[in-house]
Amino acid sequence: MIAVLGLVAGVVAGLLVRPEVPAVVEPYLPIAVVAALDAVFGGLRAMLDGIFVDKVFVVSFLSNVVVAALIVFLGDKLGVGAQLSTGVVVVLGIRIFSNAAAIRRHVFRA
Amino acid sequence: MDANDNAPEQPVPGPPQPAGPQPAAPQPGGSEQTGRQRLKAGLWPPRLSRAQLVVALLLFVLGLGLAIQVRSTSESSALRGARQEDLVRILDELDGRTKRLEDEKQKLEDQRKELENSSDQAEEARKQTVEKERQLGILAGTVAAQGPGITLKVTDPKGQVESDMLLDTIQELRAAGAEAIQINGVRVVAGSYFSDENGGVAIDGRKISQPYEFRVIGKPQDLEPALNIPGGVIQTLEKEQATATVTRSAKIVVDALRPAKQPDYARSSSP
Repeated sequence: MIAVLGLVAGVVAGLLVRPEVPAVVEPYLPIAVVAALDAVFGGLRAMLDGIFVDKVFVVSFLSNVVVAALIVFLGDKLGVGAQLSTGVVVVLGIRIFSNAAAIRRHVFRA
Repeated sequence: MDANDNAPEQPVPGPPQPAGPQPAAPQPGGSEQTGRQRLKAGLWPPRLSRAQLVVALLLFVLGLGLAIQVRSTSESSALRGARQEDLVRILDELDGRTKRLEDEKQKLEDQRKELENSSDQAEEARKQTVEKERQLGILAGTVAAQGPGITLKVTDPKGQVESDMLLDTIQELRAAGAEAIQINGVRVVAGSYFSDENGGVAIDGRKISQPYEFRVIGKPQDLEPALNIPGGVIQTLEKEQATATVTRSAKIVVDALRPAKQPDYARSSSP
């Protein structure tokens, strides 16, 4: 419950405060958000499976974000940033979908 | 990117949940609880556990990033999220466009300058034409003229002065540089003719009566001596017992006009 409240508070804070994102981080923000979403869905699924461990969730969340940003950064340096970030988004999307399917099975039993 | 490997101590049940059919039976982790029950338990009642707080913190960060990203995507310009190569391309396009527009502007400015020049030239030509028309009008007697000159008054009580003497006077004045002449309200031009009418003189068929008043525009210092030379006009007139008086004046107005006449046959041969 508190976790859900945290998410809501984050969205509200982001909309109200309008923090200025430093230009260096800006290109990596969207991909980091998608990676974090993937981690969150994974965590939710693990919770439903009863195997949720908060330390693992923290590590996976942070490493997801860092690795996604790193890949995009590397891609930009190599000149294939657009393609590579598309690839990352596709992979993360697939994972989100499969996690969502598992969650669905838990929640709706279907 | 290991998001859902959230069971390091336990054997992870295979690769990320395959999409294939799988019984929604209780999972190996929680043998007595279903996922739904666990979800319900996690949501209500709120428990202040370490796991909840940590997850809340991370989710807060996620929500923040999500909101920022959505906001910057939706409200800032399209350039904000554009990649470098796209920006370079856009910049190139803008440069090309600027160059094209500047070329066009240059062309239009040249055109404008040209048009201004030509209209200036047309204006100049028009001015010259007007000036010429006035000069010619003075010669042809179609416009009034004014300037320094003399007035010659001939009084002929005995009626001895005839047209040939007036003509001599006119020719003398012309030789002295007279530019516009009128006698008693009749403009004398190149085509003027003098004739004797019964007891008087007619110019161009219009009878004029005494005293004859010549208004002559020209250089007074030339005109007056020309009339006064020995054996000249004035002496001749005095021989006929006529009196002639010459008055210099700084401003003579010759305002008698002749109608402009279009030549019937002669045409200008200049282009």
